[in-house]
Amino acid sequence: MALLLRTLGRQGICLSRPQYTVLFRHAAPMGTTAKEEMNKFWAKNTRLNRPMSPHITVYKWSVPMMMSITHRGTGVGLSGAISAFALAALVLPGNYPDYLDMIHSLSVGPGLIGLAKFGIAFPVSFHTYNGIRHLLWDIGKGFKIPEVYRTGYTVIGLSIVTSIAVALL
Amino acid sequence: MASVVRLSCVCRRGFKPLFYQSTLLPRPLAIPHKYQEQPHLLTARIHASQALYGPGSKAASLHWTAERVLSILLLSMGPVAYFNPGPVIDYSLAAALTLHGHWGLGQVLTDYVHGESKIKAAKASLFLLSTVTFAGLCYFNYNDVGICKAVALLWSK
Repeated sequence: MALLLRTLGRQGICLSRPQYTVLFRHAAPMGTTAKEEMNKFWAKNTRLNRPMSPHITVYKWSVPMMMSITHRGTGVGLSGAISAFALAALVLPGNYPDYLDMIHSLSVGPGLIGLAKFGIAFPVSFHTYNGIRHLLWDIGKGFKIPEVYRTGYTVIGLSIVTSIAVALL
Repeated sequence: MASVVRLSCVCRRGFKPLFYQSTLLPRPLAIPHKYQEQPHLLTARIHASQALYGPGSKAASLHWTAERVLSILLLSMGPVAYFNPGPVIDYSLAAALTLHGHWGLGQVLTDYVHGESKIKAAKASLFLLSTVTFAGLCYFNYNDVGICKAVALLWSK
């Protein structure tokens, strides 16, 4: 890049009207992938020991931002829970109904059981409803800012209502 | 490199890297007049070799579409699991959930992990995790009550 700029400078040409025939002689056109460009960017940052620009500490939080990271958080959390369950199934002795009876024998009380059910139902509901919102964006719908907020509040409302309804089942 | 130069002539106030965003792809570049003399030189070089993940590869785009298709499939499995529980839906759910999680966590890794060797290590660990998860879920479906029944039992508490 610097080579090209020096070439331009030597010719006494300002960047707004460059002559490209000169550059074709010196630079072989090579396509790079987005991935390669990204890796070069990060490698340069590490090499120059650049500090990270403040982002989440300075930018004003908004509902769409919070919903987005919650979508990611619930996704990672649910995935982790499923993996933990699968690992437990492979490693622990005995079978599932026995473990359920063991938990049942602790007689936790209906309030706490309802709370636990809500705690499982809410991440599933939120991730599902917000996932549908993502799919709507993918077909190009709902990008206007008022629509983003409207669909966002709908997702939050539906998630709470569904989770409460399911927890009461 | 010339693709970089081409971008810098469009964005006069400095070069902005073109990240892989589908919103940017459909917009045509304003190509200066000089380019029309040798446009084939540039595009021929770029589209000549179709290496895996090289320029011109559609792998990433197809992956994106597959992710959305799987999401829709997983959505449809919910009602089926509720109204028609059984081993078919149990194993389908195991596969769909594991793959959806694998691809989702893959995107998280792509966002936050940088550096060739770190990315490789993280992707390898993720692959191991997903394999164990799928194995565990299938084991549970085969040797225990199965996913649908498990949820039903949990909720009957």
